[in-house]
Amino acid sequence: MIDARELTLDLGERRVLDAVSLHLDPGEAVALVGPNGSGKTSVLRCLLGLVPYRGRACIAGHDCMHDPVAARTQVGYLPQRPAFGDATAEEALKFIARLRRIHFSRIPLVLRQVALESHAGQRARTFSWGMQQRLSLAAVLLADPPVLLLDEPTASLDREGQADFLRIAAELRRSGRTLLLASHRAEEIERLADRVLELDQGRLVPEQRVAQVLPFHARRAGG
Amino acid sequence: MRPRETLLVAAREVREAVRSRWFLLSAVSFLVLSLGLSLLGLAGAQRSGLAGFDRTTAGLLNLALLFVPLVTLSLGGLGLAGELEDGSLAVLLAQPLTRGEVYLGKYLGLLGAVGASIFAGFGAAGLVITAVAGGGNAVAFLQLVGLAVLLAAATLALGTLLSAALSSRAKAVGGAFAAWLVIVYGSDLGAIGLAAARSLSPAQVFTLALLNPVEQARVLGTLSLTSRPEVLGVVGVYGQDLLGANGLPLVLIGALLASASIALGLGWMVFRKAAVP
Repeated sequence: MIDARELTLDLGERRVLDAVSLHLDPGEAVALVGPNGSGKTSVLRCLLGLVPYRGRACIAGHDCMHDPVAARTQVGYLPQRPAFGDATAEEALKFIARLRRIHFSRIPLVLRQVALESHAGQRARTFSWGMQQRLSLAAVLLADPPVLLLDEPTASLDREGQADFLRIAAELRRSGRTLLLASHRAEEIERLADRVLELDQGRLVPEQRVAQVLPFHARRAGG
Repeated sequence: MRPRETLLVAAREVREAVRSRWFLLSAVSFLVLSLGLSLLGLAGAQRSGLAGFDRTTAGLLNLALLFVPLVTLSLGGLGLAGELEDGSLAVLLAQPLTRGEVYLGKYLGLLGAVGASIFAGFGAAGLVITAVAGGGNAVAFLQLVGLAVLLAAATLALGTLLSAALSSRAKAVGGAFAAWLVIVYGSDLGAIGLAAARSLSPAQVFTLALLNPVEQARVLGTLSLTSRPEVLGVVGVYGQDLLGANGLPLVLIGALLASASIALGLGWMVFRKAAVP
């Protein structure tokens, strides 16, 4: 479902990713772990075509660089720092619904799923980070794509929000979505990931099983 | 590039622009200044017996030449850079949209918002003038509205180019203000200085003017009000001699459209490969 070969990314003088290759089968959930600046978010940005990289990345067989619309149609993205400009929650979701030709009747349903139904008319800019992250999740639920790219998705959520998010994400995972998660949090990785890929200074270290790598990362993240 | 998706981005941009304080402040200021200039112009016209429309339109032309580039350069400058900084550009580009649709959609949306503001400002002024002084030279007035939109298209494209190239809100606004000073004031002074120091020929001064959208609009606007050579200046007189009374406006309109297209094209070349953090 996700296939990246030899992804190399240079930003200015700095090599951010160095020949990173990864492959996710349909329905698989993989966590990208590693210290800050190791390149986790950059892998997601390459897959979204947000940065000019060398190498090849495909989502559901669509090249992320040469056929970005087809590739991104398959993707729901939860950024670390969601932003919706000056739109209200409802307007932000209506924009996505129009873009992806989804019926507006689904909007109240997804807002209810993330407990934002009473904030539909409020501007997302005035929301707390946690509420913005929940709105971002609502956008993903609305689009209902087969691939989810999650960038530190619970970083700005309180404990209750984290638990809600993990419950919804686990449901999505069980329903067969392919999931690529950049995370520091042991609980998140344990609940959502089948495999862990570790990045260090832009390079992929040999693959390990979740059970082997989690205690190490839990200590490193203080979790 | 798909028209439907481009228009969806444009509609989103109109909503964003209309809600921005800077745009609202600009639109209200433009409306107040247009009305103020019209009333002052009409008061003077009644005393001197001049036709209301021509005199007032000349005042509004000068307002447009100052104000439209200021608003469009800053709005265009904030456009991409602002969204890049607050993270909403990454969220937008993560949707099934091409960069071209986002780039053109944002430009068209901002142009739509600025165009509406120009229509509101000049429309209100036009109503006041018609009510007080009668129809007069309404064609010249409508030409002025069209000219302001054309100038907005060119300078907004320049602002969008700065936004794509500088990719930070503070740098883009600084760059927009510097560009405004150069095209509104600097190029006149520069041309005068160059003409004096280097003994530029009228052909060279005319060519220099064709590089500046504000100068193009100034001559074009003046031509719609009068054909008296002493008012048109070196650029207008030389242009009229060279291209004829009908040819010069067409060349100037073409130059304004070319300014918009070139700036938009250069901005696109920067944006299509830009990293979006």
